[in-house]
Amino acid sequence: MFVSDFRKEFYELVQSQRVLLFVASDVDALCACKILQALFHCDHVQYTLVPVSGWQELETAFLEHKEQFRYFILINCGANIDLLDILQPEEDTIFFVCDTHRPVNVVNVYNDTQIKLLIKQDDDLEVPAYDDIFRDEEEDEDHSGNESDGSEPSEKRTRLEEEVLEQTMKRRQRRAWEARRREILFDYEQYEYHGTSSAMVMFDLAWMMSKDLNDMLWWAIVGLTDQWVQDKITQMKYVTDVGILQRHVSRHNHRNEDEEHTLSVDCTRITFEYDLRLALYQHWSLYDSLCNTCYTASRFKLWSVHGQKRLQEFLADMGLPLKQVKQKFQSMDVSLKENLREMIEESANKFGMKDMRVQTFSIHFGFKHKFLASDVVFATMSLMESTEKDSSGTDNFTQALDSLSRSNLDKLYHGLELAKKQLRATQQTIASCLCTNLVISQGPFLYCSLMEGTPDVMLFSKPVSLSLLSRHLLKSFVYSTKNRRCKLLPLVMAAPLSVEQGTVTLVGIPPETDSSDRKNFFGRAFEKAAESTSSRTLHNHFDLSVIELKAEDRSKFLDALVSLLS
Amino acid sequence: MKALYEQNQSDVNEAKSDGRSDLIPTIKFRHCSLLRNRRCTVAYLYDRLLRIRALRWEYGSVLPNALRFHMSAEEMEWFNRYKKSLATYMRSLGGEEGLDVTQDMKPPKSLYIEVRCLRDYGEFEVDDGTSVVLKKNSQHFLPRWKCEQLIRQGILEHVLS
Repeated sequence: MFVSDFRKEFYELVQSQRVLLFVASDVDALCACKILQALFHCDHVQYTLVPVSGWQELETAFLEHKEQFRYFILINCGANIDLLDILQPEEDTIFFVCDTHRPVNVVNVYNDTQIKLLIKQDDDLEVPAYDDIFRDEEEDEDHSGNESDGSEPSEKRTRLEEEVLEQTMKRRQRRAWEARRREILFDYEQYEYHGTSSAMVMFDLAWMMSKDLNDMLWWAIVGLTDQWVQDKITQMKYVTDVGILQRHVSRHNHRNEDEEHTLSVDCTRITFEYDLRLALYQHWSLYDSLCNTCYTASRFKLWSVHGQKRLQEFLADMGLPLKQVKQKFQSMDVSLKENLREMIEESANKFGMKDMRVQTFSIHFGFKHKFLASDVVFATMSLMESTEKDSSGTDNFTQALDSLSRSNLDKLYHGLELAKKQLRATQQTIASCLCTNLVISQGPFLYCSLMEGTPDVMLFSKPVSLSLLSRHLLKSFVYSTKNRRCKLLPLVMAAPLSVEQGTVTLVGIPPETDSSDRKNFFGRAFEKAAESTSSRTLHNHFDLSVIELKAEDRSKFLDALVSLLS
Repeated sequence: MKALYEQNQSDVNEAKSDGRSDLIPTIKFRHCSLLRNRRCTVAYLYDRLLRIRALRWEYGSVLPNALRFHMSAEEMEWFNRYKKSLATYMRSLGGEEGLDVTQDMKPPKSLYIEVRCLRDYGEFEVDDGTSVVLKKNSQHFLPRWKCEQLIRQGILEHVLS
C-alpha cells in the first residue's frame, strides 16, 4: 500500500527499531541512502546497510538477515516485482520500498500489511482498480449441497437445469473477467519507466521533519541529475523537479546575497546555474569536453573528418584559439572564460544546437572546489562501475558511497579521472561502431554487438555504462544515418560479459524521439523472447531491460525478438 | 653465562690460593660480561612484562590462545595478578559500580558510530539480545561501546563522514 504520511507511518515506526537497508547500485539510490543515513544518525536509529546489485543478491542477503530484523527498507529496488513471492518473508516482517522503477507491481500496491510503498501518489502511476484484478474466491462448487431431499423428481430436474445454467453463466462471466484482467495487466506492465527520484523523496521526508540540511539538499540534487544524465525521466519532469529543488536551494543558501553577512568561503554553498551541457568541462579541457560529450559529438558528427572540421569552425567562430581550448579549463585565460557560456550558446545556436545550456546546480566550498551536479554524477557512476582489479561490487559501492561525503574529496577526484576515461572510451567505441557500420537494422529494431577484442570492452560489461553507451550510440546513429525509417527504431546492444562463461549483457533502448516519454518495452519483450526460445537468460538486474544471455543462444533469441516485435 | 661464571670461579680460587695476580684482569673482564648479560636478560624480561600489560588493555581480560601459548607460567601468573589489581582499582572508582577505564580510550563524540565490516565475522550480539550478521563491506550503525573491541581487532572500521 502507499504510505500517505511518511513521517507517522514510516519514520516514527522505524525510529525505535533496528532496520536493514537494501540499497541498489545506482547513484540515485546512493544519494537517497546518504540522506536516510544522515537522518538515522541524528536520531540514533540502529541500522545495517547491505548493497545489492541484482535480485539474486537481494534474495541471498535477505535469507542471511531475515532472522535478525523485522523492518526492511529497500531503496531503488523491489517495486516492480512481487516481493512477497520472491522473498517469502515471515508474517510480521514489514518492507518499506522507495523505488523509482515503474510500473509498481499490483501485488505490492494492494498488499495492506507487509509492503509499504514510499512513493508519492501524484506521480502518474495509473494503477488498475482493485476489482479489475483481484476477485475473492466465490463458492461455486457447492451446488450439489443445495438440493433438498424429498422433492418431486420433475421439480428437481428443473432446479438442476437452472443450477447448471447458472454455473455456465458464472463460468462465462469469469472467463470474460479473466480475459479483461489479462489485458489490463498487460497494458499496465508493458512499458517500464521511472518516477520521482528516491533522493528527492527522502529529502522531502527530511524537510517535513525540519531536519534537512544543505548537504542533504545537494544529495537530492545529485540524485535528480543522475536521472537526467541516464535519460530516465522526461525533460519536462526534470524541469519541474529542478524548480522544486530551486526553492529549497534559495531557502538554504540565501545568505550570500547580503553583502554584510556573507558566509566564509569554506562553507558549502549551492547555487542554481544555467550552465553548459558539456560533461566535466571545468575539470577537463574545453576541447576534450566538446569531443566527449554525447550532445556535441553527435551533432557535430565528430566520428567523420567533416565533423572535425566543423568543430574547428565552431571554435573559430567563437574566437577561441586552439591552444587555449586544449589547455586545462582552469588555466584558460580569464578574459576568455568570462563570457564563455553566452558565447558558446550563441555559436551553438548557429550550428543547430539549441539546448546547449541546461538548468542545473553547482556546489562550492573552499577556493578550489567547485562541482556541477553532473560532474559528481559521472564521478560516482564511474567509481561504482570501475573495473579495476581486485575490486568487487561491494568494494566499488563503498568507494562510491564515500565519495559523496565532502570529506572524501580525493575519492571524488579519482572518480572524475575514471569518468574521463569512461567518456573517452565511450566516444571512441561509438566512432568505431559508426565507421565500421556495426549498427544493423533487424527489422523492428537496430542491433549492435561489441566484439571481444574491442579496446576498453571490459568497461562496458556493467549495466549502467553499457546503457549509457547504447543511448549515446543511438543518438549518434540517428544523426549519421540518412534512412528516415531507421531513425525511429529502438536499439538492442550486446557486449561480452564474461569470457569463461560465454555470456553477454544485452540492453534494450527505446527509440529516440524529441518528445519521448522514456517508456521502455524491452523488459517484457526480453522475458517473452527468452520463454519462447528457452534461452538461458538471467534477468538479474532491477532494470528489466538489461539481461545476461549465453552467447550461443544469441541468434535464436534475436530471431524470437524480431518476430515478437514485428 | 654459566660457563663464564665457572671459569671465573676457578680463576678466583686459583688467584686466592696461588697468589697469581695476573689473573685478576681476566676475572674482572668476565665479571663485567656477566653483569652485562644479566642486564640484557632483565631488560628483555621487563619488556615482555610491559607488552603483557598492554595486552590487557587491548584484548580485555581473556587472552586468545595463540598469545597464551607464548607466555611462560610465571608470566601468566603476573598477568592474572595485574588483572586483579586493575579490577580492584576500577571497582574503587566511580561510586558503587566502579568504572571501566579500558573503554573509551579517546573521548567519544557520539553514542552511536557508523562502522564498516572489513572481514566476514559472523553473528555479533547487540545489547537487546538480537544479533547482527557481520559480512564484508556491510555497514552498521551500532552503539560505540559494543564496537570498540572489534575496531581494535581490525574487524570493523569506523567510518567518518
